[in-house]
Amino acid sequence: MLEKENKLAEQIKKTFHSAEVKVMREKRISVQLRSNLIPPFLSYAKELLDFKHLAHMSCVDWLEDNEFELVFILWNYDEQIQIISKTRIPRDKAEFVSLKKFWIQAETYEREIHEMYGVDFEGNNRLGEFILEDWEGMPPMRRDFDTRKYSRETYFQRPGREDAKDVRETITKHSGEEVPDFAKNYTIRQ
Amino acid sequence: MREKETTLYLGPQHPGITGNMMVKLKVAGDTIVKAETHIGYLHRAFEKLMEQRTWTQSFPIVCRICVPEPDPNEENLARAIEEIEGREVPERAKYIRVIVLELARLASYQLWMGGQSGSMGLYTMPQWTVGDRDYILDLFEELTGGRVYHMYIWAGGVRRDLPEGFADKVLKVMDYLESRLPDYDRLLFENALFHKRAKGVGVIPKEKAIEWGVVGAPLRGCGIKHDVRIDEPYEVYDKLDFVVPTHEGGDVWSRAMVRRQEIEQSISIIRQAIEKMPGGDYYNKIPNPLTWRVPKGEAYVKTESARGEFGYYVVSDGSEKPRRVHVRGPAYVHGISLLEEVLKGANIADVSFIMNSLGTCPPEMER
Repeated sequence: MLEKENKLAEQIKKTFHSAEVKVMREKRISVQLRSNLIPPFLSYAKELLDFKHLAHMSCVDWLEDNEFELVFILWNYDEQIQIISKTRIPRDKAEFVSLKKFWIQAETYEREIHEMYGVDFEGNNRLGEFILEDWEGMPPMRRDFDTRKYSRETYFQRPGREDAKDVRETITKHSGEEVPDFAKNYTIRQ
Repeated sequence: MREKETTLYLGPQHPGITGNMMVKLKVAGDTIVKAETHIGYLHRAFEKLMEQRTWTQSFPIVCRICVPEPDPNEENLARAIEEIEGREVPERAKYIRVIVLELARLASYQLWMGGQSGSMGLYTMPQWTVGDRDYILDLFEELTGGRVYHMYIWAGGVRRDLPEGFADKVLKVMDYLESRLPDYDRLLFENALFHKRAKGVGVIPKEKAIEWGVVGAPLRGCGIKHDVRIDEPYEVYDKLDFVVPTHEGGDVWSRAMVRRQEIEQSISIIRQAIEKMPGGDYYNKIPNPLTWRVPKGEAYVKTESARGEFGYYVVSDGSEKPRRVHVRGPAYVHGISLLEEVLKGANIADVSFIMNSLGTCPPEMER
């Protein structure tokens, strides 16, 4: 069990000494690296380890750490192993290099991450308006983007809905039946 | 003399476009020199919304990411949560999930046959296939209460057991759909017009397919035999007997032939799943959904949808809400970077035809 995963983890560790390599489970390896080592690592994984398929590229906002985590998910069709490689970059200096020279589709992921989180990818000349239109201000997927405030300032309430009434009141008024408030005993963290 | 280049905007309002998107074409005569995909017409901030909903409240959101085939989204979110939490799923629920996923694949292929034919002016096919798809939607309605969006697969299993007599109804619909295949063949797959239009059009070079992120039928249409159901079997696909069809050529024709054969495979999978399905529980109940915390962790799970690998990257910070849900639909690659490459040198009249063949689907590109 996990023989090929452990072997691959060893191989990566030998080449990239500072990498934190973890076998997560069968067919899954996670590799954490410093940001400047990600491009050489991805190139190495693609060309020498045969991880040709860039399955996904993502960004997670760790606001409490003041960092963005960039995630690159690769798949090796022959060995059938997945690598989740990750790195963290500072939120206030959100810059990375473009990977479109390795995979043409990386350009699309970078365009989205740039628009939604404000990460700049050096070498990608298509960063700019992609999904959003005439967007100004904080990129909306950042954790500190206040959706409620944005919606209050951008949209208006339909006449008669200004007071955001509890629907239970209306139902009770029309049907005469009490509607229990199942959620009142629980508080969902905002 | 070099022909003058003109800019042509195909969509967002065009009968041949595959949803709310636009392709900006630079053309010289009838030939496309450059293509640029433009999206942003139906962004609904689903991923942001989910960060402010509980885990269970996210299920009615994810199914809306794909209209023709919503179930892989529910499957992915459920499986990601189960992987992070280590939650077991009852065997019966796994079989039911396979039946639902394959029914969704068949319904999606019915729409694809209609779209593919419609984009070359063969309008009888959509009349037939959209009608036949309704028999599958009837089944979904009885099972889940919803025809298009089901919200049926969720963490821990499925929402309810099969109603009495439901399996027989499914088998009856399978018999009917199988009996329709010769009609589909005569009208579309063996049609000389389709052969002429589809062969050598929209070619994906085999040596570039994997590197360009091509998945699903377009990948198998390049002669490359990969399918998530085989490569990394989920639910009970490893207990069922089916083949993964491939075709050489990488063109619209090859992709069509792969899908045509997959219809037969899906029918067979559903029959086997019904036959082998055990009794017992269908749901491993989660705690109170309003206070349920999924432990810290992350998972990338994938499902083989009708259009290829559908992936979800899900992160939990240990709270009642997802920290991050990032969706990777096949169209995210097929409809943008791949489409822009494949359209170079194509004829204007083939744009919709190629888009249908690649399964471009804007809701999963921008969510």
